[in-house]
Amino acid sequence: MAREADPDVEALPQGVLDLLILRALQLEPMHGWGITERIEQWSEEVFSVGQGTLYPALYRLERLRLINSHWNLTANNRRARYYALSASGRRHLQKQLTSWRRIARAIELVLQASET
Amino acid sequence: MPRRNERLDDEIRFHIEQQTSKNIQAGMSPEEARRAAIVKFGGIERAREAARDEVRFSWLADFLRDLRMSVRSLRRTPRFAVAVAATLALGLGAAIAMFSVVNRVLLQPLPYPDADRIVRLYQLNSQGGRSNVSGPNFEDWRNGTRSFTEMALWQNWGRSPAVGLGDPRRVPTIRVTARFFRAFAAQPQRGRAFGPDDFSGVAQTAILSAGLAARIEDGDPLNRTFTLDGAPLTVVGVMPRDFDYPVGTDIWLPLNENEAVTRSRSSGNFQAIARLADGVSLDQARAEIGELGRVLKARYRDDTPAAGADALPILDVMTGPSRTNLMTLLSASVLLLMVAVLNVSNMLVARGMSRRRELAVQLALGAGYGRIARQVIAETLTLCACGAALAFAFAATALRVFVAMAPAGTPRLQEIGVDWTSASAAALATLAVSVVLALVTVATMRTRQPASGLSDGTRGGSSSRRQVRLREALIVVEVALTLILLAGGGLMARTLARVLAIDPGFNIDSALIVDLTMSSDGEDGLARRVARQTEIVARLRTLPGVEHVGLVSSFPIGPGFFNNGTFVEMTRVDEFTSRDQIRALGPAVKPRQGDAGYRLANGDYFKAMGIPLRRGRLIEDSDGPGMPHVAVISESLAAAKWPGQDPIGRYVQFGNMDGDVTGIRIVGVVGDVREIAIEATPPPILYASYSQRPRQAATCAIVVRGPDPVATAGVVRRVIREIAPDAPVEIRTTDAAIDSVISTRRFNLWLVGAFAVAALVLSAIGVYGLVSFMVEQRLREMGIRLALGAQPGALVRLVVRRGLLLSVAGAGLGLAAALALTRLVSGMLFGITAGDPGVHATGVAVMVVVAASASYLPARRILRQSPAVTLRAG
Repeated sequence: MAREADPDVEALPQGVLDLLILRALQLEPMHGWGITERIEQWSEEVFSVGQGTLYPALYRLERLRLINSHWNLTANNRRARYYALSASGRRHLQKQLTSWRRIARAIELVLQASET
Repeated sequence: MPRRNERLDDEIRFHIEQQTSKNIQAGMSPEEARRAAIVKFGGIERAREAARDEVRFSWLADFLRDLRMSVRSLRRTPRFAVAVAATLALGLGAAIAMFSVVNRVLLQPLPYPDADRIVRLYQLNSQGGRSNVSGPNFEDWRNGTRSFTEMALWQNWGRSPAVGLGDPRRVPTIRVTARFFRAFAAQPQRGRAFGPDDFSGVAQTAILSAGLAARIEDGDPLNRTFTLDGAPLTVVGVMPRDFDYPVGTDIWLPLNENEAVTRSRSSGNFQAIARLADGVSLDQARAEIGELGRVLKARYRDDTPAAGADALPILDVMTGPSRTNLMTLLSASVLLLMVAVLNVSNMLVARGMSRRRELAVQLALGAGYGRIARQVIAETLTLCACGAALAFAFAATALRVFVAMAPAGTPRLQEIGVDWTSASAAALATLAVSVVLALVTVATMRTRQPASGLSDGTRGGSSSRRQVRLREALIVVEVALTLILLAGGGLMARTLARVLAIDPGFNIDSALIVDLTMSSDGEDGLARRVARQTEIVARLRTLPGVEHVGLVSSFPIGPGFFNNGTFVEMTRVDEFTSRDQIRALGPAVKPRQGDAGYRLANGDYFKAMGIPLRRGRLIEDSDGPGMPHVAVISESLAAAKWPGQDPIGRYVQFGNMDGDVTGIRIVGVVGDVREIAIEATPPPILYASYSQRPRQAATCAIVVRGPDPVATAGVVRRVIREIAPDAPVEIRTTDAAIDSVISTRRFNLWLVGAFAVAALVLSAIGVYGLVSFMVEQRLREMGIRLALGAQPGALVRLVVRRGLLLSVAGAGLGLAAALALTRLVSGMLFGITAGDPGVHATGVAVMVVVAASASYLPARRILRQSPAVTLRAG
């Protein structure tokens, strides 16, 4: 029942968004807002995660058992839903990172080649 | 769902609060900060909905998606889908049909209140066999028991000629005592039950079946007067349609119980029925009446032949003879269902193998095994549902055919229809098996490295070898089950052939049999009947194309009246002229006694039937009423009573059969004839002269023999109509008579044979599919071998050997099972044993040859393939 993504909202292709979310969770479990902050921070504010799609993506990843979630308290004692990578999510991330890096390198090579 | 929504709302609220506080830190006013946070979030409702859509992966939605995908994927492979659905429909349909028959005929209670508490009461003879009841014994039971209520007697009154109830015809008639209908808690639907006046004989009355009443077209059957066997009767009641006991009865007449119980204690004239008393179990009741029977034996000794007594529920009595047949057919259909399910699973596993590449892609893309398992199960269920739907339709048709073809005498046929309880049970069982099989399929698909599936879709990896092993195991079991069916079918075929090869002792070439019933009531009734019968025989003899016209009290094969009794040998023709003289002899009479069937015949009967004369002479036309009484006897009677001696010229007294105490002189010995069933041992028979002792021949059979007597059937009927217009006449042929007694065997053979052939075809398809797959897999290897100079024939043999090995393994397994299981149907066999080596060897041979052929066909592909093409196929 996945709804077609609206291009206005969808700042990133779904596969890339998933990859970024998994990467953001690689170090520690985080709540949704933390994830958007982390991605914005790391991308030097290039990617402003279309937050309207963040939660659908999180739910989807959870359903695929790549991440799991639980309620926890934040540093200033607020209740928040924390997301963490699952074992299969970690493997999936590794696989995706490897293939992404290969593709990125390949693209880079092609682009460089055309410059000379 | 509410929990999830709450969770989402909490998360969104938290998110916006965090963004707001960040904005405030950046220097915005609180309202501005909150507005900006909401704007950045990108529409709360939108996020909610999108997330909710992700969340709402309800079971139903998933199921519907799986279903859609299944249908789509099955439509891409229509041949596979049709093959699976058709196989299931065949196996399941046959099983549902047989389940329905067994459920209706053997398990469903009869349509009477508390029908399982209605029992038949029997006398037991010294061998423990159930037999009819004598009136005085019944009275003693009735006075001595507390286990039974509504005890009643009935007496079979034969098929009496009825005039005035539509066409003249012979109507199955029963005489019943007062409590008969009460035992069934039944009463007439219209009119009334019998009252005291009916039983005392003041009123001559009858009750009709609903079926007979419906056949009367000229006016209301109630209160109508008609004649039965020449006696006028008035219809006082019509039973409801459901009431059919004893099965097939059309007329019930009153039987006076007080009079019945005064009859002879030694003769079993009656059947008895009763209802178990409240709170009494069947076992208690049987124990009580058994004890009563033993007490009576001790009291009356030789005056009663009953050594004991027993009670049996009417349903068991009714279905007893059919039980083995039906259970055998049900077992055969279950075997076929198992073969079908195995074949389907084989196809499913094969499909799983052919889809390894597709599944490997899905796995590589991150789909879990659970997801794939669900898809496979959904596909299997879709197929099973289609198969089950087809099976119901098939079963309904099969049942109609079953009812139309079922041998006469199968009880409760009119009640048979598709039985939804057993149908659902069978379908559910099949679905459960399919799910298990789907899971096994999934398990065999599981590999550690999806990549191997991607790179290597056709060559055997470890999982593919596992699947091949699974398929081989399935084939072995399938072949084994098929062999059981082949053995069962073979035994039945062999039995039928043996039965058909039996010489019944008479010429079975087509002759005409006229079953004739003539009343001999009233003044000089007997003389008039004899005159008419004699005239009929004489007139038929003059017809063109008729050579012999025999008259006999009952045609030997099929139903009829077969009287058996004990005769006494006499030293001279008039040694005993009354029963008392014989009784006075006491035990000294024993060595003089002999047991024989008592038949009446004219001399032409033996010629018409082709029964050979062994010694002496036949009955002649000159052996008329005024002459010394004569008889011929069968060889087996001569051998049993006068071994090594000449029976001709001896005198016997057989007056207990018809009350005629005139001594009979034996004048000849004729060949043995089988009676009732063709496979029964020929009984010892004494044929008395019909014209001298005609009493027992109110019902008789006339045998018309000639080059083409069947063509004269119309003329024969007309002649009889002229001479005896009110006598019911039924004309059949010897073929039909023989046919009627082998129809059960033929029907069973036909069904089990059909099941066996279907199973054989399915097994062949299974072997073919597996060998095809193995050939496909090794095509590249074979190509290389061929290119390197291997003999094509050797490669074909290699492949065929594998298929052959599997079928031999299956056949071996099946042979062991068949030898064990066919023993259960020993009772249905004739002339062979269940372990007949010829039948089992033939079964194994057929199975192996079929499997070898099924292996050879795909193996031939190796020969046709040119090495270059084969190499590229990899």
